[in-house]
Amino acid sequence: MKDVRGTVCNNTKVADDTFLLSLDCDLPDSRPGQFVMVKVACGYEPFLRRPFAILSNHKQTLEILYKVKGRGTQLLAEKRPGDILSILGPLGNGFSVPEEKRQVVYVAGGTGLPPVLSLAEDLKQGVLIFGAQSKDQIPLMSRISSLPGVELKVATEDGSYGFMGLATDLLDELTGNARGPVSIYACGPKGMLLATSECARRTGSRCELSLEEFMSCGFGVCSGCVVETIHGNKRVCRDGPVFDAQDILF
Amino acid sequence: MNTSVKIAEGLILKNPVLSASGTFAYGEEFSEIFDLSLLGGIVTKGLSLKPKKGNPSPRVFETTGGMINAIGLENIGVDAFVIEKLPFLGQFNAPVIVNFFGNEEEEYELVAARLDVDGISALEMNVSCPNVKKGGIEFGKDPNTLLSLVSRVRRATSKTLFVKLSPMVKDIREMAIAAQEAGADAITCANTIPAMAIDETTQRPVLGNITGGLSGPAIKPVALKLVWDVHQCVHIPIVASGGINTYHDVIQFLLAGASAVEVGSASLRDPLCFIDIIEGTKAYLKEHSIQSVTELVGKLII
Repeated sequence: MKDVRGTVCNNTKVADDTFLLSLDCDLPDSRPGQFVMVKVACGYEPFLRRPFAILSNHKQTLEILYKVKGRGTQLLAEKRPGDILSILGPLGNGFSVPEEKRQVVYVAGGTGLPPVLSLAEDLKQGVLIFGAQSKDQIPLMSRISSLPGVELKVATEDGSYGFMGLATDLLDELTGNARGPVSIYACGPKGMLLATSECARRTGSRCELSLEEFMSCGFGVCSGCVVETIHGNKRVCRDGPVFDAQDILF
Repeated sequence: MNTSVKIAEGLILKNPVLSASGTFAYGEEFSEIFDLSLLGGIVTKGLSLKPKKGNPSPRVFETTGGMINAIGLENIGVDAFVIEKLPFLGQFNAPVIVNFFGNEEEEYELVAARLDVDGISALEMNVSCPNVKKGGIEFGKDPNTLLSLVSRVRRATSKTLFVKLSPMVKDIREMAIAAQEAGADAITCANTIPAMAIDETTQRPVLGNITGGLSGPAIKPVALKLVWDVHQCVHIPIVASGGINTYHDVIQFLLAGASAVEVGSASLRDPLCFIDIIEGTKAYLKEHSIQSVTELVGKLII
C-alpha cells in the first residue's frame, strides 16, 4: 500500500455514464481483483476517497473503469488530462489462481466488470459472461470481444444485444453443458452473486466473488465495510474484496 | 524547538499528535504506510472484556464535511489484544494508549485491571456507553455516575488514565470536573456527536443501527468550544479530538487549551496525514519563534 500521485492521461466516456480513466502513476505491482482508493477532491467535499477496482496496472499506467453514480464519480468524470489525483493502493487481496485443467468462467454484471476483466486479461483463457441492462450499457466492446484466449458471451435484460436475459442464465447453461466443475470468478449486483454462488454449489465448482461495498478507509482500520461470513465478520476492503462464495452469508 | 508534551509523570509525548481510537485499529495496517514511531502516541481501538461483534451493516455514511459511523465498538476483546496485538506495538518508539469501555462498572474495572501490563503507557476510558444497570443511561451523562465509575477504574490501574468525554451532555464542565476529582490524569475532549441519516427514497434509516456518531471537519468548531469550556475548569491536561485534519487545527486546539490532539477521521481519508500535521506544527513553531509547543496551550488572545 502506497499513497502515490497519478496524472490523468485520458478520461473518456466509453458507455452510458461510464468512463475509462488512465493515469500515469507509479503504483506498486498489483493482482487482478485488487483496488485503489482515489481522492476525487482536494477539499472536504466529498470527505472520503472512493474505491475503484484496478482494471490494469502496467508500465506506470493505471486504468480505472467507473460509472457515474454520485458526487464522487461525478467529480472524477470532470477530471482532465494533466490533473493530479492521490491514489492509495494497491488494496485488498485479489483473486487466487484457478485450479489446473478446469475451465475458467468469469461472470460480470454492470459495474462489476473491471476486476473480472482484469483477471481475464491476465489469465488469457476461459469464457467471460457479461450482463448489462442494454447495449448502450456495455463499455469497451471492442476490447472485451477481442480478448486473447477468452470467449465473450453477452446477456442484456432488454435483448438489445446478445442473449436476452441475465448473465446467470448463461452461466447455468454453460455449467450445465460443461463436463465437470469449473472455476468461477464473479463481480456484480448482490442478486447476481447469489445466483452465481448457488450455481457453483450445485455444480461443485470453485467460485470466488469480488464484493462491492461502500468504504471509508479502504485499508482495514475502520471496520465500516464488514460482511458476514461463516468465519464471522470480515472486512471487504482488507480481508476481501474477493471471498470464497461458500463463505459468504447472503 | 521542543515539541514534547508532558501529560503525566509517566507519560511524555514527543509531539502532541496522537492517533484516535476506532480509526487506527491496532496499528498494523497503518504501520505498512508509515513509521508509527513518528507519532506522539498510539491510541488503539476500544476494547471490551469479551470480543464484540458490532452493529449490522451499513455502518458508515458520508455527510457534508465528515461521516457518521455506527461500527458498534467491534473489537477482539482485551485478552486477545494483550496476547496478539500488544507485542507488535512494542516495536515502535511511541507510547501505547489503550482505549476501553464497558457496560457496567465491574466490566470497566476488570478490563482496566487486565490492561495493567508492560507495554501500555496509558488507558483511555470511553464513557459514552450505556450503563445497563441504570436503565441504559450513558455513564458520561451524569457527573455522580461518572465520578463513581472513574474512581473505581482509578483504583484498578496504575497507568496514566484519560477519560474520553461525550460531547452530548448538559454541561461538559461538570463532567470534566467529576473526572478530575475521581483521579483522571487527562481529559479527552470529545467523542463523536450523536447523529443519523435517512434515505428519503426508501424512507428508511441509512445505518443498520439507525443512529451513529458524526465525525470529521464538520464537528471541529463544536469540539473547539468544548475544549475551551473544559480548559476553564480543570487543571489536568486536555487531549482534543474532533475534526482535526491539519496543523492549523492543531494550533487552534492548543490555543483553546488542549495539550495534545487525536486525529481520527482525517486518517481514514489520508493515512499519511499524521506526518503532514506533525511537520506543519513544527513549521508553525519555527515561523513564530516559539521554543516549546506548550507555550501555546490555552494562550488564546482575547
